[in-house]
Amino acid sequence: MSAQLNAPGRLNGPVLAMGLAGLVVGIAITIASLMYSGHAAFNTTNDGVSWGLPVAVYVFFVLASTGLTFVASLAMVFGMREYYPIAKRCVWLAAATLIAGFASLAFELGHPFRMLWAIPLSFQISSAMNWMGLFYTLYLVFLLLKFSRMHAGDWDSGASRNLGLASFLTVIVAHGTLGLVFGMMAMRPFWYDGLMPIYFLATAFLSGLALAVFITHLAYGFSTQNMPARIAALLAGALPRVFAFALGLVILFVAFRTITGLWSNADGLEAFHWMVRSPWFWIEAAALIVAFYILMSPGMREAARPQTVASVLVLAAIAIGRYEFVIGGQVVPLFKGTWVPGLIEYVPSLTEWMIALAAISLALALYAFGEKALDLGAEPKAG
Amino acid sequence: MAKWGMVIDLNKCVGCQACTAACSQENTRLPGENWQDVLYYAEGQNLTWLPRPCMHCENPSCMHVCPTKATYKTEDGVVAIDWDKCIGCKYCMIACPYGVRFYSDTKPLIAPDVRGAFPGDGKRSWAPPYRLPEQFEDAKHGVGVSPSGVVSKCTFCYHKISKAPKGTADLDEDNPATKEHTPACVRTCPAKARYFGDLDNPQSRVNQLIRDRGGVRLLDQTGNKPQVYYLTGVGGSVPSSRAKQA
Repeated sequence: MSAQLNAPGRLNGPVLAMGLAGLVVGIAITIASLMYSGHAAFNTTNDGVSWGLPVAVYVFFVLASTGLTFVASLAMVFGMREYYPIAKRCVWLAAATLIAGFASLAFELGHPFRMLWAIPLSFQISSAMNWMGLFYTLYLVFLLLKFSRMHAGDWDSGASRNLGLASFLTVIVAHGTLGLVFGMMAMRPFWYDGLMPIYFLATAFLSGLALAVFITHLAYGFSTQNMPARIAALLAGALPRVFAFALGLVILFVAFRTITGLWSNADGLEAFHWMVRSPWFWIEAAALIVAFYILMSPGMREAARPQTVASVLVLAAIAIGRYEFVIGGQVVPLFKGTWVPGLIEYVPSLTEWMIALAAISLALALYAFGEKALDLGAEPKAG
Repeated sequence: MAKWGMVIDLNKCVGCQACTAACSQENTRLPGENWQDVLYYAEGQNLTWLPRPCMHCENPSCMHVCPTKATYKTEDGVVAIDWDKCIGCKYCMIACPYGVRFYSDTKPLIAPDVRGAFPGDGKRSWAPPYRLPEQFEDAKHGVGVSPSGVVSKCTFCYHKISKAPKGTADLDEDNPATKEHTPACVRTCPAKARYFGDLDNPQSRVNQLIRDRGGVRLLDQTGNKPQVYYLTGVGGSVPSSRAKQA
């Protein structure tokens, strides 16, 4: 009975059903409330928090997509052939998460359709947001072309390799420009940092690794016995070690950034005190540390269940981190006087949560569809 | 071409909010959506205040971040928003160091939401019976009642100043020739704490005041270089901090 439940592919149907159900509920409630009250259905206001939960969801998903492409690129670009067995799954999931991120952002914009002509016709070259949009769009195109090549069995032709390289290079630039969207804001010291693209690179790689580990276990019913030998070997070999390295790096990033923010008294850095006063920060920290402990313990690092727990903990911590990053840059009011005497209070509204639900569900549904219909476990023929 | 700028004398400002009321009436703003505001601060045991319009910066960060060039600098030095191009991404609101921008499609700052009583007509996000006359509405410069889903802000009353006779050094409500071209906040100020004129004209009153009384700019370290200057001194100060730690 247990073996039957754990059989590979058995969870695809339920995941697809969950994804579609969440998508329908999320989209229906979001559209109904947007039609009824517009963006007044959001808890973002003119008091200062202009970018709310949907933007944090966008950042989470596009950086997860970035990280998944990094993982796939270990095989596609850097020739580490042991990663080939998860490369196709990672590329598909990278496209799915990117589309989910774009969908979340589209609900947040005042005029998403106007964007389609206004940006190409009046391209502001000094706006990092434009470059981010351009490179993430190019990246999606390259990613889908690369996937279609892999799906057709063409893994190693010159054209296929170039498409893999193009996806990798465009996403390096894309995630960097997303880092600059925040990092260039000198008036918001919580974000202002020339190294923000590198911070995004490290956290993106970590979230990509966590998703790759989680989704691989999900695909094989959370049992290594169901896995092809090469995937089981990867999960007991290089992958958890790279995962542990990236996690250790991100823990250092978070620790030093937080300590610097708490120590400094520059106007605007009060947001770091806001951050550490929240229990969510400590949940995030605990999740990262427990996951690191699991991945550094030789007995647990290579076992399926602890690995899955570590990946879930990391994904939860990264999600909290994206939220506190996006909101934290805005909680210190800019010239509101006694109208806003303290920090700005923001809690996402039901509509904003429904956008998050829709985005998560869309990513899950697209993933499960791929798993059912597109043979995501395929890899190049040996030789 | 003029480069319009403003000088606000904090020694004279009595914090009466007449400028805020005049701006709201002139530009048909929602309650609380104050393009021009007077902000109150508690400093020590004292109450102090700071009038705060859009700074119409020389090097505006809001313009540089706008992906569609909806925010732009006019030839006469005003930072304007083209509502036909604005996609409502709110990046400009993130990038403005002075918090002067407002998104039209959000919860009202002051309840109740009067838009419910005067629903929008497609072109405008709400349609109050008394509003800026239609001939002055100008979506290309963000003048009038905002459409839904765009960002708005102080225009220096662009519908007035852009019609001023060429070569005018000062737009002063006491001069019959320029009275109708003077921004509403300047024209209404009972203490005459505001001056408006051409920053490129050495003879303008604003330039004389900046030179003779040491005009300062808010958050000058951000590099935005506001075209609004403050005169401080006895009785006036520019607040140094934006928020107390909660």
